[in-house]
Amino acid sequence: MHSNLINVAVIGYVVATGLALAHLVQRHDLVYRLSVLAALAGWAAHTVALISRSLELGAPPLGSLPDAIWVAVWVIVLLEVLLEQRTGVRVLGAFVLPIVVVLSLKATTARPGTLAPALGSAWIWIHIALAMVGIAAFVFNFAGAIMYLLQERQLKAKRPGAFYYRLPALQTLDRLTFRTLALGFPFLTTGLVLGAMWARAAWGSAFAFDPLAFFSAVAWLVYAGTLAGRAAAGWHGRRAAYFSIIGFVALALTLGAGLFLPGRHGS
Amino acid sequence: MTLFVTGLNHRNAPVALRELLAVEEDKLRELVHDLQASEVLREVVVLSTCNRVEVYGIADAPGEARALAFRSLCRHRGVDLGVVEPLLYTHLDADAVRHAFRVSASLDSMMIGEPQILGQVKEAFALAQACEAVGPHLHPLFSQAFSVAKRVRTETEIARHAVSVSFAAVELAKKIFDGLGGRAVLLVGAGKMSELAAKHLVEHGAFPIYVANRTWARALELARALAGTAVPWDELPTALGAVDIVVTSTGAPEPVITRGAVTRVMHGRRGRPLFFIDIAVPRDVEAGVDGLDDVYRYDIDDLKQVVDANLRERAREAQRAETLVEREVSKFLARQADVEVIPTIVSLRARLEEIRLGEVSKTLARLPDAPPETRAAIEALSTAMINKILHVPITKLRASSRAGASRSWLELVHELFGLGRHP
Repeated sequence: MHSNLINVAVIGYVVATGLALAHLVQRHDLVYRLSVLAALAGWAAHTVALISRSLELGAPPLGSLPDAIWVAVWVIVLLEVLLEQRTGVRVLGAFVLPIVVVLSLKATTARPGTLAPALGSAWIWIHIALAMVGIAAFVFNFAGAIMYLLQERQLKAKRPGAFYYRLPALQTLDRLTFRTLALGFPFLTTGLVLGAMWARAAWGSAFAFDPLAFFSAVAWLVYAGTLAGRAAAGWHGRRAAYFSIIGFVALALTLGAGLFLPGRHGS
Repeated sequence: MTLFVTGLNHRNAPVALRELLAVEEDKLRELVHDLQASEVLREVVVLSTCNRVEVYGIADAPGEARALAFRSLCRHRGVDLGVVEPLLYTHLDADAVRHAFRVSASLDSMMIGEPQILGQVKEAFALAQACEAVGPHLHPLFSQAFSVAKRVRTETEIARHAVSVSFAAVELAKKIFDGLGGRAVLLVGAGKMSELAAKHLVEHGAFPIYVANRTWARALELARALAGTAVPWDELPTALGAVDIVVTSTGAPEPVITRGAVTRVMHGRRGRPLFFIDIAVPRDVEAGVDGLDDVYRYDIDDLKQVVDANLRERAREAQRAETLVEREVSKFLARQADVEVIPTIVSLRARLEEIRLGEVSKTLARLPDAPPETRAAIEALSTAMINKILHVPITKLRASSRAGASRSWLELVHELFGLGRHP
């Protein structure tokens, strides 16, 4: 039941991604609407899958990293559709949905690991949930940074190409990356702090080497630096975008490490 | 009876001839009246703009109608018909429908996507309507043409991107700034084109406007015209720090805005982009500012390049529009074809139904004791037979009319079933 629904969701997201990319090229209104529809259909199946998974486990569907990633994907798709409707930036899907597909495939191909049995505390659920919302925000941060760099290149090169016509204004994109950073950072921070506290309680040490914890600390440092740079030194635009991309690479490594390397977060 | 369009346009006729043939409204009304009264044309719409003169009509002999229309037009304008005749194009039926749709949708315009043509076609149609020269053929054609034009405008970006330098500058500004509302503009120098660009920016919400000029009186004058503020020439470097968009068009032989000056103001701007629209030749803004972050500088050649890209973008969109038009043409023709065969189908059905009713009542009269189920069965049987018999002929008639060969089929059906002569 659960895995069938997850498959439906993945198919929905893959179709939505294909259509969103086609819309980026073709700009057919119908293609765009079908893409939104496919994403929503996938999301609906995904919602039911999460509920059924949670009933099956008798706990929030966050007990293993693949499960947690599914929740992050769920949040991302929801935000993507909402943001697109609110801001009217219809190309957002073409940048965010591919990441959704990659995350989904990562989560499906990972070993269905279970966490250490010490999952007794409610804090652990909050740790995971906050970290996943943070990740969702940073996906948009990354997409915004990529779009900013593409648009800036076109404007500097003075040769308008496909992206010049399709992407929104530079300031809009810079604001998107700033806001998603400002939103994601507190979630990530609280999530990491809770994780460290819990690790100390469970294993007696907050900072024993764990690949996921290591890379997430790197990602946190990059994002913290970017946020500080933005707030204090007036960083913005291209420089901030580069840092957003570096931070996201660290975040991707974090998830990859958690999924494929042995450690406390994996099996 | 054939739908045709005949005329000349910007593609094949020189402007000298087009301007001679362009007719003002009074004369147009007269012309439509004359053509309508001639009996050669059943319906007629005359479209006359500075880029085209076209006669849309329904006639038994389109060639004759065409000669008549342009003979009176030429006589009226004192042009030799012999000069005009070889330039005229004529499209019939499906081609004429396509032509009407393409013209209305601005796909046949000199500047693809220009918005005026639809209004002009609508006026021509309204005038013909007022002259009672529009009937059951041209009316659906033009209504459909208007809706196709609307679809093309909304579903493609054929009319979206700027094709003038000053509008291209506004569009660029919109790709840099998050909306132009409240963006400050500084005008340096006073050229016609920079004034125009400033006006466009103001129309999109840019405010306030500052004007700097070497001649203080000129700065004041232009500031008044644009409801802006004059800035003394020496304060130009400071002013750069406060504005978002700078439009330059001085006659200075050397750049008036140097990389050094821009570098100095960028520190204090905290990432607010600065957009230079440099319309002056020689250029007013040092090209070196391109290397600075958040500075965007477009000179006149860059802007022309953007316009060219926009034109290519329009051309790409025009391809999509052509596909859309093509689909609408076949839909329109299919509907027309149905309209043509419907009267015959209706009378054929009525004829058979009449026979059925007659025979059923005769049969039932012979079976006075028949129970209601039997009566119902007889009704059902006869109706089913009629429908089965009609199915193939009706399908065939529709198909033949869509293939454009309905006439002989219609005559045959009328003859075979005794429906009277086909009109």
